Amino acid sequence: MVKDSVHPISRRTCISLAGAGGLTAAISACGGNGGASGGDPSELLFYNQSRGQEAALTKLAEQYSAQADVTVRVETPGPADFPAKLQSKAQSGDMPDIYSALDEGMAPYYKAGWAMDLTEQMDSGWSDTFTPLALSLTRFAEGNNLEVPPGIYSAHWDLNIFGLFVNPETTGVDLATPPATLEDLIDALVEASPDQGLFSVAASLCANLLQELGSKFLSDEEIEATLSGSAPWTAPGWVDAFGAFETLRDSGVIASGTLPGGSDDNPGVEKSFFSVQDVGAIYNGSGAVAVARSTAPDFTDYGVVGLPPISGGAHAPRSVVRVGKGAAINPKGANPEAALAFVTWLSEPAQQKVFAEEAGLTPTAAELIDAGDVAEQLRAVAAGVDSAQAVPSTFTSDVRTAIGAAAQSIVLGELGVDEALEDVQSAQDRSA
Amino acid sequence: MTSATVSAPVATPARRRRGRRRSLTAWLFLLPAAAFVLALTIAPFFQAILMSFQEWDGISMETPWVGLENYAAVMSDSEFWGSMRNVVTFGLAGFFLGNGIAISMALAVNAAPRARAFFRTAFYLPSVFSVVVVGLIFRWLLEPRVGVINTLLESLGLGALAHNWLGDPATAVPAVALTFVWYHWGFAFILFLAGLQDVPKELHEAASLDGALAWGRFRYVTWPHLAPVTSIVSLLTLVAALQIFGTVQVLTNGGPGSHTMVPTLRIYNEAFSSFRYGTAAAMSVLFGGALMALAIFQLWITSRRSGR
Repeated sequence: MVKDSVHPISRRTCISLAGAGGLTAAISACGGNGGASGGDPSELLFYNQSRGQEAALTKLAEQYSAQADVTVRVETPGPADFPAKLQSKAQSGDMPDIYSALDEGMAPYYKAGWAMDLTEQMDSGWSDTFTPLALSLTRFAEGNNLEVPPGIYSAHWDLNIFGLFVNPETTGVDLATPPATLEDLIDALVEASPDQGLFSVAASLCANLLQELGSKFLSDEEIEATLSGSAPWTAPGWVDAFGAFETLRDSGVIASGTLPGGSDDNPGVEKSFFSVQDVGAIYNGSGAVAVARSTAPDFTDYGVVGLPPISGGAHAPRSVVRVGKGAAINPKGANPEAALAFVTWLSEPAQQKVFAEEAGLTPTAAELIDAGDVAEQLRAVAAGVDSAQAVPSTFTSDVRTAIGAAAQSIVLGELGVDEALEDVQSAQDRSA
Repeated sequence: MTSATVSAPVATPARRRRGRRRSLTAWLFLLPAAAFVLALTIAPFFQAILMSFQEWDGISMETPWVGLENYAAVMSDSEFWGSMRNVVTFGLAGFFLGNGIAISMALAVNAAPRARAFFRTAFYLPSVFSVVVVGLIFRWLLEPRVGVINTLLESLGLGALAHNWLGDPATAVPAVALTFVWYHWGFAFILFLAGLQDVPKELHEAASLDGALAWGRFRYVTWPHLAPVTSIVSLLTLVAALQIFGTVQVLTNGGPGSHTMVPTLRIYNEAFSSFRYGTAAAMSVLFGGALMALAIFQLWITSRRSGR
């Protein structure tokens, strides 16, 4: 009779089990969250979003590395990939030492403690470098709409001034005496090209365009209240501002009768204006000058003027200015002090001058702005920075997307202004 | 007279032990693969379901429970349900148009043995390209001002037909659907061609001798033999069409407005642009559940048809 006993596990089985266990453990470890980057303290990684500033930034990083105890390495994943890749890095706890601080979409990083609060350093004299406007745009006040703890989490060396980019040759617009009103601009564009629209704006920038158009009917406080969710989008001032999309549509000046959409809608508009030159007027931020320098360096015969306002309204028209290129510092990095020292150095007027001259950025340094040290095409709008809107709140992602979609629908004749604003209000409520 | 008796094998304890040992060894060999499937497929699947009841911005360490709030938000999200309607259009186009073209071309190529190798390569070629490359090619073709199609139409004196193909809601969905079909039909074509080559020639010859014409031979000889291939190709093309992402993202990113928005892109935007992973997970659960139900239904239909 054979004894029905449990056989001892053989050596081969043991090895198989150990191997399988090790494999499972290794797989499980892949999902771990380290919580802080554990790199080499003598090397700093700058995770850069902008291709336009990449060359100048790399040059400055090399210059700094030669004179400091640390080496600064610049990595540019590309503007479209940057947000998702930075999120992945945050999720895996492998955040870079320094990373590009965009004007929108950074609040989750600030709330999660992935950005050093620079308030103390700013109050200790660093703020003297910047124009008051640039500082006000980076400061999160108590009770802000994004629920970020009060503080300053980024330093910027670029102001993004929005305006109308005009090609005088195709539009016939004289940059010395630009159209006084939106209606005058439309007349000029229709006269220059009766059959084909010459104006374009990316759907993703319609929110900024709307904010600029709205300044004629709303005060900065009213605009701030709407963006922060305490005033409705259905207010009469926004109705008048959104009505401009109907005016543009009905006049036939919108190129191809539609607003470009998609993930790279604005690069597409920039390509049409700077490279193909089949549109003659676009609404864009001053950062586009850097794009032009890298993609169409031979085309310099254009200018940037303030967007002509809609007729009517009680207020003076005020341009939209946001902070552009800049950086946040990872306080959990291997060497946050060195990262802070580098970003401080990078924001000094001497380095901002390099960014302005080589990448066409608009400096945030007060002394450079006062000296008119900006790209030739931007001088007209840079001179008006002092009278720009002082609205620190930014659009939430939902609201920006909703305004783009609503503007497209108005241009396509699918929605009226009131329905469009209701959609925007729904988006605002959703992101509350 | 001899009689043969077959006796069932007696399951002795020794044989049972051998069987158990063999079974244990098999399981041990399967263990690494099972660990991979568990860690990389099953665990994320359940994690997604779990996340659909939580709130997470993708960055913070806090993931509070919100109950059914995410599902309630999805239920009232008109853009998501609009995207579900759009994807049905893409699914139907991929299923009927894509498979129709694929089987027609497979029949044509199968009837021309000398050109078979060339056409097999030529028709399958688009499937080899990256979806980004295909998207960029078609965006260049369909560009309203300097695109190849409009330029060609104008040079032929048909300028009146030139159109903003991707910017007009009326043509954006068909344009994206046709791009998808162009990209994917080669895969179905290869499978149909392989299926056709397995149909015995003798049956065709016998049918011809019996007086069957081309349609009769296709209907009563070719089509029944293609049934297993048709089932799997239908399922794969339908699921691929319903999961369309790259083509839409590169061509229109869901625009104009939300006219070409699809669930996969909506889920991506919800997570990566709006930082609402909980709602994105709820959308994934609903969309994934719908896909699973559809696949089970189609497999059930197939098994009924084949009489199993």
